[in-house]
Amino acid sequence: MAIEFLLNKQNPDGGWPYLHGGSWTEPTVYAALALLAAGETAQSKRGIAWILRTRRSDGGWASRPGVGESSWVTALAALIPEECLGQAAHAGAIGWLLPVQGEDTTAVYRLRQWLLGSSSSIDRNISGWPWTRGAAAWVGPTSMAVVALEGEHRRRPSARVLERAQAGRNFLMAHTCREGGWNHGSTDAWGYDAPPYPETTGMALLAMNRVRSPKMESALSMGRKFLTETRSADAQNWLRLGLAVQGELPQGYAAPQGIVYRTVPEVALSHISALGGLA
Amino acid sequence: MTRRELILGAGAVALAGCTSRKATAPRPQMVSIVRAPAYDQRIYDTVRRMLADHRLDVRGRSVVLKPNLVEFEPGSSINTHPMLVHAAYEAFRAMGAASVRIAEGPGHRRNTLDLADAAGYFHTIPEFENVFTDLNVDDVSQVHLARQLSRLGKLYLPNTVLGADLLVSMPKMKTHHWVGATLSMKNLFGVVPGGLYGWPKNVLHWAGIDESIVDLHSVFPRQFALVDGIVGMEGNGPIQGTPKTAGVLVAGSDPAAVDATCCRIMRIDPAKVGYLRLAAEGGAQIAEAGIRQTGERIASVATPFALIPFFRNYRIDGPMG
Repeated sequence: MAIEFLLNKQNPDGGWPYLHGGSWTEPTVYAALALLAAGETAQSKRGIAWILRTRRSDGGWASRPGVGESSWVTALAALIPEECLGQAAHAGAIGWLLPVQGEDTTAVYRLRQWLLGSSSSIDRNISGWPWTRGAAAWVGPTSMAVVALEGEHRRRPSARVLERAQAGRNFLMAHTCREGGWNHGSTDAWGYDAPPYPETTGMALLAMNRVRSPKMESALSMGRKFLTETRSADAQNWLRLGLAVQGELPQGYAAPQGIVYRTVPEVALSHISALGGLA
Repeated sequence: MTRRELILGAGAVALAGCTSRKATAPRPQMVSIVRAPAYDQRIYDTVRRMLADHRLDVRGRSVVLKPNLVEFEPGSSINTHPMLVHAAYEAFRAMGAASVRIAEGPGHRRNTLDLADAAGYFHTIPEFENVFTDLNVDDVSQVHLARQLSRLGKLYLPNTVLGADLLVSMPKMKTHHWVGATLSMKNLFGVVPGGLYGWPKNVLHWAGIDESIVDLHSVFPRQFALVDGIVGMEGNGPIQGTPKTAGVLVAGSDPAAVDATCCRIMRIDPAKVGYLRLAAEGGAQIAEAGIRQTGERIASVATPFALIPFFRNYRIDGPMG
């Protein structure tokens, strides 16, 4: 059913929309990966060909063609197996990701905040990724960049890649909510605690693969709680992926009845999570 | 001239009679305040009468309703109530609009349709999915900002709102922990596509929140504002505040004037709200003397919305009448 949905939603140009309309990078990556896992190689290859056609000269990808700026979706492109994407395109994606960081984690910004007394730390080992360059780092894009870099390090061990992935994990660890789990990034505003969200908690658990600490125990506890409560397809997908890499997904877990999978990412990630994950 | 510029130009001429784009010199803007004590069937008639009072001519035009959908909490006062949105949808259809769509791009949660479902939109609005566009993942076009106060530079916006003859901003009347109050102008953050800019749409914050609000407002010369103040939110809004009953709907063709009136109802000084001050500097009318108020008097419906400490100096001092 999921595969049929994805096949029907593929645009003539080979890419996928989120729901209707033109092709975007994010749904195309997830759909191509899901079809690849399902053995639907012809359609998957058409999707990957679309991804290769839309690669930008700086090695990254924009959220969709025609938008003149590479963004966080470059991390998603890097999740496509190197043998499918090609060595040069894959290396270009990793090369694009490595120096990118949120404006709020740059040395200049931190130093300024420290001088203003707004921050007690100028720790360079905490550094996340933004959705788009020129903005702050957030949990979602940081999680996907860490997952991509970790995959790269497994293939080709590199101190630089490992260091950057670790800086991203440090960012995630520094941004856990007081009650456990993750909001989009902020842990509070004006002294009010920010609540954790199921989707971002699932994504961050995926990136914090095998990390253990009291904060992680609290995050895992929140993830398990969210898994039983949420009726959102997106949240179910990310929690399943995150808890699975942590070895915390109940054996034979199946998403509750009544969850509606509407968009291409929701359907594709559901299929991927059922098959064991992105990495 | 691009196709979009042609459409905008033609639309502006065609709708000149039903909108109130500001000239350099402010002129009195009509803002109506109507009591609406509850979310019940009376809303349908109330909204029809409000729109009729404003003499909007939308015959043969495309109308996009932009509510404020933020969080999954059906019982809360975070989201614009679906019954109000349905009432506006039915009213604009009855007024002869060629098409009426509901469109929103939530800034916090990615699963827009789940969010709309939890907020009661599927239940309240027949065939909701067929009349709704998720602006976060709609097809986009690059726009040039008519004003450039922020550091936004180029901006991509969804074709659904860019192609509308009339954009109807339908916010919830809420306090906001970054800008003081979130109303019809701030509600336009929801047209910025998360698919390009992420969740939250942090690029708007880094470019200057108040400035981005005004810049974004300038992209849409044909707007109408209808504010859900039946139950709003006070305190640590726009998400973690507490429900606040104001029992009003506020409407008008000039969002800045509507927002200024809402602020006065909330007992917030609009001149202290950064984006309203910037809008006024650009010619928008926010002074009470320059707004032609119809329906209820502000004093008769004003009720102080609690403010977090940072914004306490935004409070209008003195008696309410």
